[in-house]
Amino acid sequence: MDLRFAEGAIVRDDFFLVEIERFQGPLDLLLHLIRTQDIDVFDIPVARITAQFLKAIEGLDAEDLDSAGEFLETAATLIRIKAQMLLPREGDDEDEDPRAELVRRLLEYEQIREISQRMRASEADRGRRFSKGFIPARPKLLHQEMPLETMWADVLSAALAVEMPTPRQGLHRVTTRTISMQEKVVLILDRLQDQSGIEFSHLLKGFGDTMHGVMTFLAGLELTRSGVLFLRQSQPFSELWLYRREEDEDEVSTDLGVVEVDS
Amino acid sequence: MNTPQIVEAVLFASDAPLTPGEIARADERLDEDQVEEALQMLKAEYDDAQRAFHLTEIAEGYQILTRPEFAPYLERFDNIPRANRLSGPSLETLAIIAYRQPIGRIEIEYIRGVNSSGVIRTLQDRILIDIVGRGDGLGRPLLYGTTQHFQEHFGFASLDDLPRPDELPIILKDRMPLQEGEGDLDKEGTPAMSDLGESPAEEQPDNSVNESAKDVVL
Repeated sequence: MDLRFAEGAIVRDDFFLVEIERFQGPLDLLLHLIRTQDIDVFDIPVARITAQFLKAIEGLDAEDLDSAGEFLETAATLIRIKAQMLLPREGDDEDEDPRAELVRRLLEYEQIREISQRMRASEADRGRRFSKGFIPARPKLLHQEMPLETMWADVLSAALAVEMPTPRQGLHRVTTRTISMQEKVVLILDRLQDQSGIEFSHLLKGFGDTMHGVMTFLAGLELTRSGVLFLRQSQPFSELWLYRREEDEDEVSTDLGVVEVDS
Repeated sequence: MNTPQIVEAVLFASDAPLTPGEIARADERLDEDQVEEALQMLKAEYDDAQRAFHLTEIAEGYQILTRPEFAPYLERFDNIPRANRLSGPSLETLAIIAYRQPIGRIEIEYIRGVNSSGVIRTLQDRILIDIVGRGDGLGRPLLYGTTQHFQEHFGFASLDDLPRPDELPIILKDRMPLQEGEGDLDKEGTPAMSDLGESPAEEQPDNSVNESAKDVVL
């Protein structure tokens, strides 16, 4: 008849079947056998416990030599004690009890386990008390580690130094362009009469207003669109060249590393 | 500014336990006794005023920690992954080291009955234990002891705060297989725990068993 007994153990025909994997080691197993059977630890029935222990470790994984060895060593100790129990003892000195050292180890191990439980409780209790910094800080800025040396006075004086912008007029005046694109088309064609190409910046020389640049660029684009010019730039943001489109343009376009902008 | 206020400011700004000596560095006119006195005042003040935190004695120092009853509220902010709790074998090994420090691996394994080198390494990685010396035995074995972080982790005020053996039904045996090296360790402030088992126990296996245990261990 099978009967569920303590956790991990089944009593069958007065025998314990133990799932060996549940135990942390031989002392754990031994203690389990003793405690679940209400055995007096100071008077361990060595023969019975040894038989149960050996039965329990039958299923040991021989591959795992380290842990198997630990169980086997204890099994050997049990068998030795069993043998010593059979031999007549000299005198009745308690110290001579061959079980004494095993009992001491078991009690000590049991106590360590008891302490472990208390430490587990302390750990949980400590885990419920928090110190500064427990709540995560806000996302940190890149230069967060560097202390800020700017004082409020600096900020204030900087603020005072800023000129207040004059309020805008409510009306927006639309003006006609004072520089015409036609004017710039003429300029470009004129400059390209005695040379095949010219830098964009050269076309701006002598003209101050940004509007001249804008209109010259637009004129260049317009001329390119109409097939009079083509534009070249060796790389982004480098000098823009305007070339007169001619029959031999293919020769020019074989230049290395040139970005063609013409349509 | 009075002393309790200065002490309070220092504690408030710290996220780790501080000893009275460390707190006293805040002002050259402060000594440890004054700090200790201020600490007791603050402690009483927080308790009387029913603040959400109290002044906790931990890891040989003092720290302002929230009261446990506020944990449910604070845990909602906990989005940092936290280290797992210690496993059974780890805790068991740590308990042995805590009570028997300084102690070597061989003796730990004798008490546990299983190989413990992996667990010891884990505990070292988590800075709960550290090498505190070497024994005189064969090969001068490394001896381990607990760290300050160990006390912080478990909330122990000091090593005396560990669950005392005399509260337990069985007493840890007064075994001293590793007397050697205690001199060095005392310098490092690691108390020798060898006198833990001196109080009388209800059930005490005979002392002479001890002697044989010593032989096995060493």
